[in-house]
Amino acid sequence: MQFPSRALRVVGGILVAYALLVATHLGEFWPFSIYPMFSQAGNPWTRAVVRKLPSQADPDTLSWDAVSLQDLPGTSYPVAPKGINQNDVANYVSKTDRWTDERVQGLRSLFTKGRTLSSPLFVFRVRGTLETDSVAVTATPVLLFAPDTTRLHPSSTARTVASAPPS
Amino acid sequence: MSALSRFSHTLRRELFSDFAADTTGTHVYFRGLELFLLVYTVYFCWTWGGYIQQNISSVLLPLGLANYIDVSFMFAHNVALLNAALIGVLGLVGFFRLWRPAYLLALFAFHLQYVARYSLGEISHGSNLVGMGVLGLGLALLFFRDEEHRRRFTFGFLYFFIGLGYTSAAVCKLIGTGITWPDGRHLLMWIAERKVDTLSKFGAFEPSLLQEMTLQDYRFGTLFLVFGLLTEAISFLMWWRKLRYVVVLLVIGMHIGIFLTMNIFFHASTYLLLLLGLPWHRIIDAVLERSRTLAFSG
Repeated sequence: MQFPSRALRVVGGILVAYALLVATHLGEFWPFSIYPMFSQAGNPWTRAVVRKLPSQADPDTLSWDAVSLQDLPGTSYPVAPKGINQNDVANYVSKTDRWTDERVQGLRSLFTKGRTLSSPLFVFRVRGTLETDSVAVTATPVLLFAPDTTRLHPSSTARTVASAPPS
Repeated sequence: MSALSRFSHTLRRELFSDFAADTTGTHVYFRGLELFLLVYTVYFCWTWGGYIQQNISSVLLPLGLANYIDVSFMFAHNVALLNAALIGVLGLVGFFRLWRPAYLLALFAFHLQYVARYSLGEISHGSNLVGMGVLGLGLALLFFRDEEHRRRFTFGFLYFFIGLGYTSAAVCKLIGTGITWPDGRHLLMWIAERKVDTLSKFGAFEPSLLQEMTLQDYRFGTLFLVFGLLTEAISFLMWWRKLRYVVVLLVIGMHIGIFLTMNIFFHASTYLLLLLGLPWHRIIDAVLERSRTLAFSG
């Protein structure tokens, strides 16, 4: 068989494998993909922000109410300098339906594996929704990681995206 | 001749007939592309290896082969770093043509590294084009013995699947949202999302000029999104040699636009497109010819 025909056959074979793998794996089988990023425009999004609280903050008196980005308590805790990937934190917060011990420990280990906590970290779920010509952004506290304890939002319905009331 | 066989004939001619001349330019270009793909493969795998070892302890979202095998063995005892080292060795074995399956085995290990790294739920597309490049090289090495054929196959393979991938992205947008996808208010949403991400990563956010323009008047956002969608939609035209370089340069422009409007820079993909977006082999040959002429005339 001549080179161009053989080459096209190999490409055709890979194309078939590509189509079968992405069709049976929700569009993703690395390095194959249908590249669906940003395909659902205008939908509400959920991300995460971490805030550092003063070391003397009392977990029992903390407010678990939703706030705007401007009213977040504590100081910023930038994750990039700590070598933590922002998307991994956001995925824990946005894709967890039930905060099992394993999930809580998995997220906590992002902040504690190989390092120690000196102050409590407050993890917020941040949700953005389109309102006419502007974007409304609300931050809801989900977890508190203190050096010696972990607290979940006291209301089980407020802990996850699925059970959170629509904004 | 049926339409299908005419199309197949066109693809054979357009994808696999270039890079036939065995000049210094084609040789340097191909080996340079190969080296680029290997360096990026090693870079991704070492970076991910360190991250897996440092941060990951459970699988939240199984991707690819992680649907069938438990990849948690990658999370401890430096297994991810050992895997990265193995990928580097296999890459060198392939580069020096010591063992023909080497690149495909490196791709398999690269896949394991990817599914372990992104088992927390994020799906990153930043390494997909590099992965496709390694697949193209692996197939070229396995199926063809002649270096000229390997070179022609690898380039044709890359233009075919890169063009297809970007066009697929446009189709996904039209299916996922419809014809209103380029509405500038959607860009407002993504800018707000990127603002939260940037605050979370670095503690501060400064909008770029294009972001300022969109925040001031979302119709600028509509313009940017229309350009992006149209560019993606026509990307398959890079299958044809006459349009190839224009289309690839447009896609690079789109990536620069994504960076300026959404702070997302697909560095590996953009640099790979820069390598594929100009006839570097002809440029290298022309420079060499000119230097030879100057040397003789001097």
